[in-house]
Amino acid sequence: MNMRKSANLVLLLVAAVFCYGLQISKPHYGELIGPIPARGKLGDTVVGRAFEVHAEKVEFARKLTVDQFGQQRVLTTGGVWAVVTVEIAARSESTTIGVASWRGPTGLTYDQTERLSFMNGLLPVAIDPGLPRKARLIFEVRPDEASDATLLVSEKLVAALDSQAEIALGPVAVAADGLPAGTVDMLDMAQPL
Amino acid sequence: MLESARSRLKAWTVAGIGTAAAIAVAGVLGAFGARHEPLPVLAPASPIDTGEWLLRPLKAYVTVEKYAYGTLLKPGGKALVLEVEMTNRTAKSTKDYFDVLQASPATVDPATKPFIVLTRDSTMSPELHPGMPERMAYIWQLPDGAAAPASFNLTVIRKTYKPRDNLYGLPGWFNPTPAGTLTIPVGAGPDSPDIQP
Repeated sequence: MNMRKSANLVLLLVAAVFCYGLQISKPHYGELIGPIPARGKLGDTVVGRAFEVHAEKVEFARKLTVDQFGQQRVLTTGGVWAVVTVEIAARSESTTIGVASWRGPTGLTYDQTERLSFMNGLLPVAIDPGLPRKARLIFEVRPDEASDATLLVSEKLVAALDSQAEIALGPVAVAADGLPAGTVDMLDMAQPL
Repeated sequence: MLESARSRLKAWTVAGIGTAAAIAVAGVLGAFGARHEPLPVLAPASPIDTGEWLLRPLKAYVTVEKYAYGTLLKPGGKALVLEVEMTNRTAKSTKDYFDVLQASPATVDPATKPFIVLTRDSTMSPELHPGMPERMAYIWQLPDGAAAPASFNLTVIRKTYKPRDNLYGLPGWFNPTPAGTLTIPVGAGPDSPDIQP
């Protein structure tokens, strides 16, 4: 009788430990319904469910010049401007690409800047199958988040259970002034893509 | 009859003791103390941590111009401008700063929502990015005919991080609570010097 009691107690403890192990090791709901990554690197064509994206080049600049209603404006930043030129196309039906983020090596995530909302060619862009179009994705990032970053592109903000392109942008050397190597002083956004 | 009265008395006594014990436990846990605790007074010259933001008030002034940082103001009215350096402490770009500073109802009508502008290029309420301090201006329209105050009170609201919220299981900042109050002197105009730490 006493034997059975202690056996039950041991069984109870084992069950508790097992349940705790399941709780801490299994993915949580938020991770299960998160975006589905489609991975690639700079120069690849990354294919998601409804769109494909090809990152051509990354440029860094201290300032941007933009045309606003026929006037030229210079935009400064507390960090550095990162401009990624991409080509995107829809796969089987027309859709819209709405969200792009820059994820630095430490995981800090920089959304596309909202300071150029008046400019043409920024997200959201409508894309159609068989008609690839180019776009500029413009970010303000901290200079130490420029190297080994990942570009995230998805159709909408909550890309639950849908594709999110994750494009590795590769290492970037650091110049003497702390900015990424090859940072230009001024980048003209009015230039054709 | 007597028996029934006795058992009723017993029931009332037990219920009374239970209630008293519950209230006593709540009191020990601080249920009554929290409400009456006065808010801490924050120093305007030192950085203020609200969880999501690191705030450093720079200056406040009253303007009668037509535009303040590109924002069209009511003609003939006055506007209170507070310039503050904000640093996003989180890992993601966010614009969750609309309720972080609340001007005292003695100065600003509580129904008046401030315009929040990036002073760098007068962008209206842009997302601010992790670890990049930016100078922002909160612009409150003052009530008609109000005189320019010599100083005003602000309540700072802080939020707490939850790795998983109760509804969607996603991370976020929740439960806004007042973190403290601070008094900011109102300078003469846009050229008044910044508050030095």
